[in-house]
Amino acid sequence: MLAGLLALTACGSGGANNEEQNAPNDSGNGDSNAAVKLKIMWQGPDTRHQAMLKTQEVYTSKHPSVTFSPEYMAWDDYWKKLPTLAASHSLPDVLHMDGAYIHEYATRGTLEDLSDIDLSGVIDDKTLENLKIDGKLYGIPISRNAQGVAFNKEALEAAGIELPKKDWTWDEYFDFARNARAKLPEGVYPINDSNTWDHYQYYQTAHGKGPIIQEAGKKFNLDKELFMKFYGIHEEFRKNKIVPPADMVSSFKENDPQADPMASGKVMTRGASVGSVGALELLMPGKVDVVNVPVGPEGGGWAQPTIFLSVSTDSKHKDAAKAFIKWFVTEKEAGETYGLNFGIPIYDEIYAALEPNLAPKDKLGKKMYDTAKDKALPFYPAAAGWTEWVDSYKKTIDAVMFGQKSIEDAYNEISKSGNAIAEKQSAK
Amino acid sequence: MKAEAATKPAATTLRMKKKLKGSNDNNLAGYIFISPWLLGFLLLTLWPIIQSFYLSFTEYSLLEAPTWTGTDNYVNIFTNDTDFTTSLKVTFLFVLFSVPLKLFFSLMVAIMLNKNLKGMNLYRTAIYFPSLIGGSIAVSALWRNMFNLNGYFNHVLAWFGIQGIGWITNPHTSLGTLILLNTWQFGSTMVIFLAGLKQIPQELYESASVDGASKVRKFFHITLPMLSPVMFFNLVLGIIGSFQMFTSAFIITQGGPINSTYMYALFLYDKAFKHYQMGYASALAWILLVIVALMTAINFLVSRYWVFYETDGGKQK
Repeated sequence: MLAGLLALTACGSGGANNEEQNAPNDSGNGDSNAAVKLKIMWQGPDTRHQAMLKTQEVYTSKHPSVTFSPEYMAWDDYWKKLPTLAASHSLPDVLHMDGAYIHEYATRGTLEDLSDIDLSGVIDDKTLENLKIDGKLYGIPISRNAQGVAFNKEALEAAGIELPKKDWTWDEYFDFARNARAKLPEGVYPINDSNTWDHYQYYQTAHGKGPIIQEAGKKFNLDKELFMKFYGIHEEFRKNKIVPPADMVSSFKENDPQADPMASGKVMTRGASVGSVGALELLMPGKVDVVNVPVGPEGGGWAQPTIFLSVSTDSKHKDAAKAFIKWFVTEKEAGETYGLNFGIPIYDEIYAALEPNLAPKDKLGKKMYDTAKDKALPFYPAAAGWTEWVDSYKKTIDAVMFGQKSIEDAYNEISKSGNAIAEKQSAK
Repeated sequence: MKAEAATKPAATTLRMKKKLKGSNDNNLAGYIFISPWLLGFLLLTLWPIIQSFYLSFTEYSLLEAPTWTGTDNYVNIFTNDTDFTTSLKVTFLFVLFSVPLKLFFSLMVAIMLNKNLKGMNLYRTAIYFPSLIGGSIAVSALWRNMFNLNGYFNHVLAWFGIQGIGWITNPHTSLGTLILLNTWQFGSTMVIFLAGLKQIPQELYESASVDGASKVRKFFHITLPMLSPVMFFNLVLGIIGSFQMFTSAFIITQGGPINSTYMYALFLYDKAFKHYQMGYASALAWILLVIVALMTAINFLVSRYWVFYETDGGKQK
C-alpha cells in the first residue's frame, strides 16, 4: 500500500518539473471588485483555529470581494502535508510558516519574497533584517515567541521547595532538582529526563560553545566535554530517581490531560513556549508559573518571532494575499480577534490594546516572554535536511536512558551521523 | 499473429480478418465498459508504480525536482544504513511470531465455533464482531490506552498487587504487545478457516470413527490435510500483511522505544514523509516488494509438500 502511496505523490510531480508557473498576477491590482478566494492553511490547537476562522470572517466583512478557503490541522499533520502540496505546486495562497522550517521552504523556491510589504512603524527594521534569508523576507513575523520552563507552583510550594527564579543557571537548575527530590513524595519527580537535541543544545549554547548545526547545515559542532557532563548528570539523576524512569518518560505526551508530564502530576517542570504554555494552563488552571530556560555565561533560551505568514510562489492571488497579511499584522481589529493565540502580537499597539483584558493563560505567555528576553540567545533551528539526524539523536539518547548504550558510544554515533550529513551538504 | 496468418490461404485470411474485426468491435465495447476501472488501474496504480521505480534511482526531496543518482540509494541501503537492518530484523521477528500465533489461534477458535451447539450463530457473531473494526486507527488507539503505563491493563494488575510496567514504552515488551494485538485481530482468518472446516465431508469423519480413530487422530489425519489449502491461503496472506504492518506501529509506538518496533513500512514512511527522501523511500519500497515476492515464492515451492488439493486425487508428490 505504501509503495502505491509513494508512487502517487511521485505522480503529482511529474508535470511540474521545474517549470515555474508564471501565471498573470492581476488580481488585486487596482480592480478590487474582482472576487478572490484565498486558500489559507495553518497549524495549531483548536483555540487558535477558532480565532483564525473568526479573523478571516472579519476580513471578509471589511473586504467583501475576498473570501477564504481555510484548512487547519495539528503541528505534526501540517508538516507532513506541506511537502506533498509543495511538490505538486498546490501550496495555498497564504500559509503558516515556522522558524524551524522556513529555511527548508524558502531555499527551495516555494515562498514569495515579501520585502515589499510596507511595515514601517509596525515591525522595526532590525527585527525584519534579522529574519531575512539571503537578503529576502520569506515570511512576515506575526508574533513574539520565546522558550521557557513551566513549573507546578502549587505543588512545589506545598512541599516547601524554593521556586525557580528568573535567570537561574544550569547549576542552579540541577541543584533545584536534587533538593526537590528529598522533599517530594515518591513517584513524583522534580524534572523530566532529557532526550532531544534542542534541549541539550540550550546547555551547549549557554556555555558558549555555539549551536550544533552551523553554516546552514554545512558544519557540525557537538562539544564532547559538555555532552559527557550533561548526560552524566542525567545518568546520576536516573539512578537517584530525580528524573522519571525511561519507560515513563517515553509514555509522556504533552497537552494530553492524562499523559502530560506536568498535568498528570508526575513531573514538576517541563519546557514550554509563549504560544503553547496557555494550553498547559488550561489543563491545570492556576497552578502553573513560568521561568526562563536555565542560563550559562553566554545567556540561554531564545525570544524572537518564530511564527510567520508566507505567500506561495504558485499563488495566483499574490497581491490579495499580501494585502491580507499586512492587515493581519497591522490592524487592531485583526489582533483583537486572534488575541494571543499565536504568541504576543508583533505590533506593540495591538498588544497594548489587548493587555487590559488578558486571560490568565495569556498573562503567563507574556510573563514567559518577559523573563526570557533579557538573556535570550538566537533561535537555532535544525537546517534543511537534518530531520533525520534529529530523529536519530533522540533514538540514541533513548538507548542511553534505557541503559543499553554508554554516553560515550552515544556521542560517537551522533557525531558520526552529524558529520556525515554536514559533509554531504558541503559537497552540494 | 501476422506471420501466422500470412501462411494461410487468402480466403481463410479474409474470413479470419472479418472475424477478428468483429471480435475487436466486441472487445472495444468491453474495454469501454471496463474503462473506469482500467483507467484507474493504469493511471493510479501502474503509472505510479513505474514512476516509483524511476524515483528509486534518484534523490528527490519532494520540494525540488528529482536528480538521477544511479544505484546510490540501493548501495546506501545495503552498506550504510543501520536503520534498514534494524527495521528488517524487527519486521522478520514480527512476522515469525505473529503469523504462526495468529494462524494457530484462529484455527482453534474456528474449530470451537464449528461445533453444533445451541445459539452458535450468536457466538460466531460475538467473536467476529471485533474484527469489523479491524486493524483500524481506533483499535490501535484503544490498545495504546490499554497497555500504557497508566493503562487499563496495569490497573487490573494493580488489583492483584502487581506493579505493571509501560508495556508499549519498554523496549523489551513493546514488540510483543504489537504481536498480541495482531493475533487478537484474528476475525477474517478465522472466518476463512470456518468456511474451510464446513467444506470437509462428514463421511470422512464417520468412516474414521467406524475404524476406531481417536479425536486427535481425526484432527491430524482428516481435518489438517483437508484444511491445508485454506491454511496455505491464510499463511500467504498473513505473511504479506505482516510485512506491511504499519498502522499499529505508527499509532501505538511510533517505532519506539529505541527502534524496538520500527517496522519496515514505518521506516519507509519516515524516509518519505518525515525526512523528505522520496527516492530513497521508493528504493526501500522496491526492496520490500522483492522480499515479499521471494517469501511468497518460497511458500509456493514448499506448499507442494504439505498442501493437499482434493482435485489431485491424493497422489503423492
